[in-house]
Amino acid sequence: MKMRNKRVLAALAALVAVSMIATGCGGAKTADTGTDGAAAATKITIGIGAPLTQGAVALGQGMKRSANLAVKQANESAAAKDAGITFATVEGDDQGDPKTGVTVANTFASDASLIGVMGHLNSGVTIPASKVYNDNKIVMVSPAATNPALTLQGFNNVFRVCTIDTVQGPTAAEAAYTTFGYKTVVVIDDSTPYGEGLAAEFAKKFASLGGKVLFSEKTSDKDTDFNALVTKIKAAKPDLIYYGGIYNAGALLSKQADDAGVKAPMMSGDGCYDGEYIKLGGTQVEGDYCTSIGLPVDKLPAGQAFIDAYKAEYPTDDIAAYDAYSYDAANLIIQAVLKVAGEQGADKVLTPAGRDAVIAAVAATNTEGVSGAISFDANGDTTNKAVTTYQVKSGAWTPVLVPGE
Amino acid sequence: MTADVIIQQLVNGVTLGGMYALIALGYTLVYGILLMINFAHSEMFMGGAYVGLGMLLLLTSKSFPAHAFFTGSAFGILVLYVIVFAVAAIAIGILGMVIERVAYRPLRHAPRLAPLISAIGVSIFLQNAALLWIDSKAIPFPRVFPVTPLVTFAGASVNSLQILIVATSLILLFVLDTFISRTRVGKAMRATSQDREAAGLMGIDINYVISLAFFIGPALGAVAGVFHGMYYGAVVFSMGFIPGIKSFTAAVLGGIGNLRGAMLGGFLLGIVESLAAGFLSTGYKDVVAFIILILVLIFRPGGLLGESVVEKV
Repeated sequence: MKMRNKRVLAALAALVAVSMIATGCGGAKTADTGTDGAAAATKITIGIGAPLTQGAVALGQGMKRSANLAVKQANESAAAKDAGITFATVEGDDQGDPKTGVTVANTFASDASLIGVMGHLNSGVTIPASKVYNDNKIVMVSPAATNPALTLQGFNNVFRVCTIDTVQGPTAAEAAYTTFGYKTVVVIDDSTPYGEGLAAEFAKKFASLGGKVLFSEKTSDKDTDFNALVTKIKAAKPDLIYYGGIYNAGALLSKQADDAGVKAPMMSGDGCYDGEYIKLGGTQVEGDYCTSIGLPVDKLPAGQAFIDAYKAEYPTDDIAAYDAYSYDAANLIIQAVLKVAGEQGADKVLTPAGRDAVIAAVAATNTEGVSGAISFDANGDTTNKAVTTYQVKSGAWTPVLVPGE
Repeated sequence: MTADVIIQQLVNGVTLGGMYALIALGYTLVYGILLMINFAHSEMFMGGAYVGLGMLLLLTSKSFPAHAFFTGSAFGILVLYVIVFAVAAIAIGILGMVIERVAYRPLRHAPRLAPLISAIGVSIFLQNAALLWIDSKAIPFPRVFPVTPLVTFAGASVNSLQILIVATSLILLFVLDTFISRTRVGKAMRATSQDREAAGLMGIDINYVISLAFFIGPALGAVAGVFHGMYYGAVVFSMGFIPGIKSFTAAVLGGIGNLRGAMLGGFLLGIVESLAAGFLSTGYKDVVAFIILILVLIFRPGGLLGESVVEKV
């Protein structure tokens, strides 16, 4: 009996251990996307840092797919073959959590073949991770982190291809106040650097335009029960609810507000711009707004080619909010590597001097990406500041305010 | 603040409290009998939500022969929900018994920390199993049950789902309380909780009693899980953690080991949270709830209704 009990216990412990390993708390998984190059080809790895199992998973998985697509296309290109380089990707699951993000960053940094990182998504994760990349001369291009503080740290290796909250928040406020005519608002955020930053920028601009912020309140990004807050919102009778946060909680907030009879629509930022928001919110989120960085993919100059390539590679998946940006971010790193390889030779790319040259090459980017013209200012922020406003119409995000239209 | 807002916040709080009370019963039942905190209980809640969602999707899917009956009439919806809740409760009840048999029974005579760690292990295992085998994304809970404001008074409204949650919680609490205090098996459970060895010597099948506690607790947790999914509209693998911690707090607040205490603690915690969120700020709701817990524990270390625990020892 004693022996049997021990065996049962050991089996259970093994099961738990296996499950933890399989879930990979911040673990990294390498995916060689092209090994058909010459035997002497130098392997250059690009890290993909995104929430893949927890947090904004729908957005993170999209980032992963797009970066992998960019790398696959690069490996098939003549430029990479001529330069004697094979690109590979390594995935790091940051779970939308700052601590896990730093673990992922350190795992990336320990990979000698890793030149740059496409990521991360959440500003709260990207900011601490960028410090690790800076220490290790790894170039980082984020397709999605929009908090202004990210590029104000004085790091020369940090770039982003998305526009920042100080652009997105005020644009949203102008759309809400001027275009749609909402005069009073309740501002809610999820207490993350992203949500707080965006909500504060929105509130500031909304008030300066002449609108009235009835009250502001913080929730948690893991909350599911918003009924007490909704009751408070209902009593305040705002024209609009503004939410700074990610779709997981945002959709539930909007849904519960609708159930309680709050007529005001909810407006949010790029963190809610995903089909998951509508899937979770159902018919109760009809009429909600959100802003997202850049132009709708199909309105982008090279958008159709990207959509075709994406559909060919991932027939069952839809393009998520940051996919075009992730594709561009990965391509910027690829282009910089190829440029440095052309100047100094493929074997020099991973030397300290080569890494500096790659960072300099990304900084000097001046190209046409899928998301439009890409170049960086002194901080590493994109000079492309387009923000599009969308609305849920018949169960789909539909662009209602597109810059330049 | 006007009266309607206060009443509305109380309604919110009582609904939330009903769910906390159902989960808290599972903690307190197991603690009462084994003096062990079953940290895997929050995963019973999560599992219940998944089983309930699965049943609902299965029974209402177009390919299921009787789906028209289940979605067509009020009676059909009622039958549908009885089936959904019953299947979730029974499935998770059995899961609870299996977990007890595999992870806790071998450790029954081990130092008290060992089953606690085992419970944490089970919790992590189940969470990761749901993450890997079901989905990492939240799954929306389809709204088949109509949610309409039924009672309106003084500007506050109570919808059908809130009434269903609170009524079901109260009925289940009453049934369980009667079961424990009036039936022979209930008497055996009470005897086991007072002195396991003496109860065994009196001819009570201890393993049966413990298994039963591990069936009832998780089954009630599963019912709360289905309610949580229906009420908030989404099911996700990590959903058990926070309600689990809150309900454990509720059980301690009411006096752990005491069924009526768990119920009282659950409702109290839900109401305090809603009022704090409504009148201070959402960010302060947990602060207020835990300040009250600390105060109660300072002045009444056994919890609000904790005396019976002291008496029995």
